[in-house]
Amino acid sequence: MADRLEVKQGTLALMILRTLEVLGPLHGYGIARRIEETSKHRLRLNYGTLYPALLKLEQEGFVSAEWRPSENNRRAKFYALTVAGRKQLAREAREWHRTADLIAAFLAPRPEEP
Amino acid sequence: MRHVRAALARIQGLITGPRADAELREEMEAHLEMETAENIRRGMHPAEARRQALLAAGGLTQAVEAVRDQRGLPWIENVFADFRYALRALRRSPAFAAVVVITLALGIGANTAIFSVVRGVLLKPLPHRDGDRLLYLRHSADGPAAANLNFSVPEVRDLRQGVSSLGGIAEYSPWFHTMQGADGAVRIDAGLVTGNFFEVMGLSPILGRLTRPSDDGPGVPPVMVLTYEFWTKRFGADSGIVGRTVTLDGTPVTVIGVLQPAPFFPDRVDALLNMVVSPHHLSAQMVEAREHRMTEVVARLAPGASVEQARKEVAAVHARMRREHGAVYDPNAHYRVAVMPFREALGERARLTLQLLMGAAAFVMIISAANVANLTLMRGVRRELELVVRAALGAGVPRLRRLLLAENLLLTFMGALLGVAIAVAGLRLLVTLAERYSPRASEIRLDATVLGFTLALAVALALVLSFISSLPSEGSLASWISAGVRRMSGSLRKQRLQRGLVVAQIAVSVVLLAGAGLLTRTMIQLSEVSTGLRTEEALTIPLSLLDPTKVSPETDAANKQLYQRMQREVGALPGVIEVGLGSTMPLRKSPIAFDLKVDGKPLAVGEAKPHADFRTASPEYFRAAGIPLLVGREFTTTDGPRAGKVVIVNKTLADRLFPGENPIGKRIAWTGEVLRFTPFSGDWRTIVGVVGNTQDGGLDAEPSGVVFAPFAQEFAVFGGLVVRTEGSASELAAAATRVVRRIAPTTPVENVLTVRQIKNQSLAPRRQNAALVSSFGILAVIIAAVGIAGVLAFSVSSRTNEIGIRMSLGADSGHVQRMILKEGGVLLALGLALGVGGAFFAARLIEGLLFGVTPHDPVTLIGVAAMMAVIGIGACWIPALRAARVDPAITMRA
Repeated sequence: MADRLEVKQGTLALMILRTLEVLGPLHGYGIARRIEETSKHRLRLNYGTLYPALLKLEQEGFVSAEWRPSENNRRAKFYALTVAGRKQLAREAREWHRTADLIAAFLAPRPEEP
Repeated sequence: MRHVRAALARIQGLITGPRADAELREEMEAHLEMETAENIRRGMHPAEARRQALLAAGGLTQAVEAVRDQRGLPWIENVFADFRYALRALRRSPAFAAVVVITLALGIGANTAIFSVVRGVLLKPLPHRDGDRLLYLRHSADGPAAANLNFSVPEVRDLRQGVSSLGGIAEYSPWFHTMQGADGAVRIDAGLVTGNFFEVMGLSPILGRLTRPSDDGPGVPPVMVLTYEFWTKRFGADSGIVGRTVTLDGTPVTVIGVLQPAPFFPDRVDALLNMVVSPHHLSAQMVEAREHRMTEVVARLAPGASVEQARKEVAAVHARMRREHGAVYDPNAHYRVAVMPFREALGERARLTLQLLMGAAAFVMIISAANVANLTLMRGVRRELELVVRAALGAGVPRLRRLLLAENLLLTFMGALLGVAIAVAGLRLLVTLAERYSPRASEIRLDATVLGFTLALAVALALVLSFISSLPSEGSLASWISAGVRRMSGSLRKQRLQRGLVVAQIAVSVVLLAGAGLLTRTMIQLSEVSTGLRTEEALTIPLSLLDPTKVSPETDAANKQLYQRMQREVGALPGVIEVGLGSTMPLRKSPIAFDLKVDGKPLAVGEAKPHADFRTASPEYFRAAGIPLLVGREFTTTDGPRAGKVVIVNKTLADRLFPGENPIGKRIAWTGEVLRFTPFSGDWRTIVGVVGNTQDGGLDAEPSGVVFAPFAQEFAVFGGLVVRTEGSASELAAAATRVVRRIAPTTPVENVLTVRQIKNQSLAPRRQNAALVSSFGILAVIIAAVGIAGVLAFSVSSRTNEIGIRMSLGADSGHVQRMILKEGGVLLALGLALGVGGAFFAARLIEGLLFGVTPHDPVTLIGVAAMMAVIGIGACWIPALRAARVDPAITMRA
């Protein structure tokens, strides 16, 4: 329990987009499950974090939402990646890699001075 | 794109909120169920499964709130809520709201109106193309008659050749014409301009074309451009006007175009014509005589040149002119040329008056803002309980501050709305006032900039009002809440602030009142100035029979016969005592003035030549106008055209030329190069009489020397009748005008006024100044009186307990009353002292608007202070009486 992290704003959007890319249309519960599992339960997603983020992505046009019956025949809201969302994911992923490389380079042990 | 889309979605969210809430709940419920089902599948007890799912969800209400914030625009929703709340709060105290809104409206209204005038007259960019590069050149010398000498054509030529930093120099010669129309003759004010005038001015036609260089010189047809104002007023904005012919002084002139609306300087004009319309303007005299100055000059800065450069070059050229033509520029008169931006020239006369009004309006704003601040502070104390409760319920300091801001914005906006209404109502009055000072009065509007100014004022006021109420800093909120209400009411800081505001109000009121007092006294002093005339009951009928295109001794003789016929026939009207003829009407300044020389008295070295106004008068003129004869004789019928030339001088000239001597029998003559261009000779003339001074050209004008010559002996350039009547002179106006019109049907007869009317006209601008500042002053005093009464009343009500205790311990009601009066008296005394000190400084700024009183006039200052003191004590009395009526038995029980 102690090493559970609060998910950072911004990275959550990336995780949601990636989840939808990998798994296809999914409801909020499914997205939360998947993210928690992928993070090996180090991330905890409560509703107050997840649903505003989903709404924001919907407002920005990166995901679309649709009410559909779920696997156990309950009505649920399914989110799907849009074309714009796919592009946004590629863009953000690229940027994330770049930032991560940069930070990694900074934090790398200093090479010996020649 | 993404942000736009998100913003649109959010705005939509504002509207679709309730439906979306239901959907959200359903979505979350589904989530919970799925998670519960999963937990059961993992082997949990259903109740425990549900509990765990809820725990993982982490607060459903918070989640709904968070989604709501994301969905709509929480900021706007909060602001709406704040305003709704503020409106409710104000509705609960309508008296407070009404007083605040009205007080603010007075201040904002005054400032909006005055600012619109300042903007229209001084600040607004000129309608001319690149108006900031337009310059006005003024030629002047020492002496009141030489404040604006104008330029001669040779002088303009020198400037054109010698000043490279001026890209274009245009001439503009003020002139007047008589225009014949279907409804009789009218005088129109015209400007004769060179062909480059409109190019230099940067003006365009709205119809037809403007004059151009090909319209210059002799041998071209005379053409006329109408100003926008004249076109609408006289021709009803007739779009078919171009190409029409009008008759000016008997000459047909073609209208070629209508000019865009634009201000003119120094005076407004009706039409602009090319020079050919006036043979005089193309004569050798005009074109070659250096001292024949009839032209105003406007110029445009050359690209890249600065005003400073132009000034230097103009000064250099002028210095060379003075060297090369020493005879024309008397070194003792200090001839000079000023180069100023055209916009400044247009605002010149208005500036001082507008500064005065702006200052007065700003003072009214200060007072009303101080009053509202005080009211807000007092209300703040009463509301502290409510604010404490709100704080206890979780509203943070920023939220409370925002609440106050919303409330104050609501108040100042309502005040601004009412203020704009007041400004609209007062604007017409201000435009009439501005017309006396500025050619740009017609540009005064309540436009977007002015309304922006009003809005900025309202917002600034709201901000100030919100931040003077003390709210605790973020950290101390808890102690504020725990202290509750008692500690807060009437904290020392707040009381000091309130008292300071009252003192400021009184001080500013005193300054305003002092200004109003000085201006009122100026007006009274002026109206008490003797005109020098024995009566104000005389009718003046100025009219000029001269046709400038037909100047000859024969036409002059014919004109004089017509004047004399008018004199006889008006004299035959019932009630007429005397009719005089003269070049210029009494109390009007003669447009003709020359240098003088005295027989047998050469000028000392370096002494400036004496200068005097030239007027003509028939033998009856002095009696008809009521000008007293001091020494010698009046003119008689024997002073005819062929008799010896005689003159009568006024007292000022007699004292100046012959101090301590008897002027009768002495001889004087006109002198100077200018005489060559006039029909007046430099012959010696014998002085036969001395008459009293009259206030020609304004009651505040310095008396100037005047020489009267017999009407019959001099060329009648101007003329008119002065009619002395038995009863009221104005009753005769219609009948006399009819007689004159019948005899001279093609001559415009305008400005038929009694001497009293002329006098009142010259007082009118001062009267308006005094009235405006006085009304601001009265406004200020009323607001300040309400302020001091309000603060004391508040002090009494918050000290009711204390007063009750004092009374039950033996203080009588007189004692309590004195206590409160003393409290107010201290504030009053402080305010008075500060105000009198402030008035001492402020009055010096309006010295130029005063007449007959010094800026530190003790009578005014003491009077104003006494008046404020009486009103202030009166205002203290009401709360003091209320304090004295406190019933200890009731207050102690409460």
